[in-house]
Parts: sequence; structure tokens; C-alpha cells
Amino acid sequence: MRKKTFAAAALLAAATLTLSACGSGDDGNSPVAVVSEDTATQAATVLDTPFEKPDLVLTDTHGKKYDFRAETKNRPTLIYFGYTHCPDICPLTMNNIAVAKKSLPKAEQDKLLVVFVTTDPARDTASELGKWLKGIDTQFVGLTGDFATIQAGARTLGISIEPTSKDKNGKLVSVHGTQVVAFSPKTNGGYLLYGQDTTVDDYTKDLPKIIKGETP
Amino acid sequence: MRRFAGPVAVLTGALVLTGCGGSDDAKAQLSVGSAYMPQPVSDMAAGFLDIANKGGEKDELTSVTSDVGPVSVHETVGQAMEEVKSLDVPAHGQLVFKSGGNHLMFDKLKHTLKQGDNVTVKLHFAKSGPLTVEMPVKSATYNPTTGH
Repeated sequence: MRKKTFAAAALLAAATLTLSACGSGDDGNSPVAVVSEDTATQAATVLDTPFEKPDLVLTDTHGKKYDFRAETKNRPTLIYFGYTHCPDICPLTMNNIAVAKKSLPKAEQDKLLVVFVTTDPARDTASELGKWLKGIDTQFVGLTGDFATIQAGARTLGISIEPTSKDKNGKLVSVHGTQVVAFSPKTNGGYLLYGQDTTVDDYTKDLPKIIKGETP
Repeated sequence: MRRFAGPVAVLTGALVLTGCGGSDDAKAQLSVGSAYMPQPVSDMAAGFLDIANKGGEKDELTSVTSDVGPVSVHETVGQAMEEVKSLDVPAHGQLVFKSGGNHLMFDKLKHTLKQGDNVTVKLHFAKSGPLTVEMPVKSATYNPTTGH
């Protein structure tokens, strides 16, 4: 998949250079063709070796203990690590999933679990997290707790997160991987990986499959 | 993978201007396009836009102001976002703010912003005069590549 990406990029770059030399209009068509081929590829990365569920025992937005493995057992589940003071990718990713979820029949919406784990637990208390998620989807689960536990859990999914730190202007920022991992209701394995470029349409296409534990 | 489409298209446009534009004007000539704000979830929001420079001299975006609340300029380096004091608008080039990359960060919004609203944003530069931009609030999942 990666190799293909670079090939496409090179083709596009070549076409771009032609244009910069005021070349004939014919060359201008080739990037379009490459891009449309590109978008036909799968958003999900299917993992050869699925991830085991992280052993995360944290606190949900109601202030109750939430054992991730127990609560999500045999349920189609998406997990994402982020924080509420994140202006760009975190709300975009959660909203993309929320909008895609709303296109599912009600029964399937109820089956799907979407779990948002904060990477900034000092600021994202249970109630802060609850307030934020309510603005996105009232069914989404929000988890907060001990940073070291969250970091270790994320690491088992190949997602790196760092403690919240001050940038050079004194603003608190949290550095975190932006992948979404989907867990199968059949095997409980984390078998699909989505990057931050995944769109509403991608999730709309894939969620019905994830709910059945199928590979999109 | 799709991320190549945006920047490459932008680059193509920029290079067309370089190759075919007749202007040898040394001064920066700035214009703003594709401004939008995804409908915010809380009192924070991100804003995106392109600043094009048709001129032969670079300029710098030094600050951004708005009536809706404080605005800061962020760039994304690897996974970390960092507030920056200024960003270059290269000669015959563009400064692009897009999801996952540079963004304007609105903080402590004075009131709730909904899809359909417009936010007035003023861009201040090192050399050129300020530019006022009407930034429409789009859906929370708005994708500028597809337009919905």
C-alpha cells in the first residue's frame, strides 16, 4: 500500500513539473486519473497480526469504573486516544465516526462501541470528557484515569502518547498518535487500523462490516 | 494516501502561476481562499485557509485576530502541534492551513458557533497590510477536498 502511494506521488509530481513549464493541457489530465484510482483503495489497514485488547481499567464519564476488556467483550469496538483541548484531528475523527454511525440502523448503532480515551487526564476529568463527548455522540464512551495506565494501554496498540507538556508559549499540549483501532466482535482482536485521513464515507462503508466482524 | 491530492493540486496551481504569470512585481501580493471552520464541539475551534502570494517577495503571517475570541497560529511538527510566532508566505507560493497540518486555533469562544455562521478573521502580516476574511462555519466533518 505504501509503495503504491509513493508511485502515485511521483506521477503527480511529474505532471506538476510539466505544468510549471507551461506544457500542453493534455498532461494536466493525468493527476486526475491517478487520484481517482487512489481514492478507490481501502481506508482500513488490515492487520496480519491483530492486537490484543489493552488491559485498561479506567473511569468513564459517569465517574464509574470501566474495564475495557470486560465491557467491550464480543462487541464491535473502535478505540481512539486523544484529548478535548485538541482543536483539529480529535474532534474531526470523533465526528467522522459519529456521522457515519448515524447512517446505521438503530440496532446496529446500539451494538457499536466507540471508546475515546483521554491522553490528557489532568484536564479531561470524567465530567469534562462527558460534556465534550455529548457534543459529538451521546453513546460514545469516554475514559480517563492514570496517565501511565493509559500510555501503557496505547503502547500495546502501537499508539504512542506523551504526557501533557507546555509548549514554548506556555500552552498545554498533548502529543498522541491519531490511529483508530477497530476490534472484531468475533475474535476480540484489533484487526483494522484507520489513519487520521479516514473520511465519513470511509467509515460509513466499513462500519456495517466491523459490526459483523468482517474485513472491509 | 488521499492526502497527496490536496497539496499537489495546490502546488500545481502555484507552479502554473510561476511559469506563466507575467508579473515581476517584487512585492508580496497576497490573497486568501478556501477559508472554513469546522463546527466546534466546545469553546475551542480550528480554522483553515490558504494564503497565496503572487508577488516576488515573501511575507510573513505575524498574527491573527477575531471578534469571537483569541486566535493563535499553530503548526504541526510530526505529531506535535506547536504555537508559532509567524509563518512564511513564500514568494510565488502559498501558506496552506489544512486539517492535520497548520491550523488557526480559536480559544475561549465567546459564543457557540454553528454551521452557517460566519467568523470574521483579520490576518496581519510583516509587510503587507492586514486582510479581513469571512470564514464560514461548516459541518464538523467538512472535507474541503470533497466539499461536503
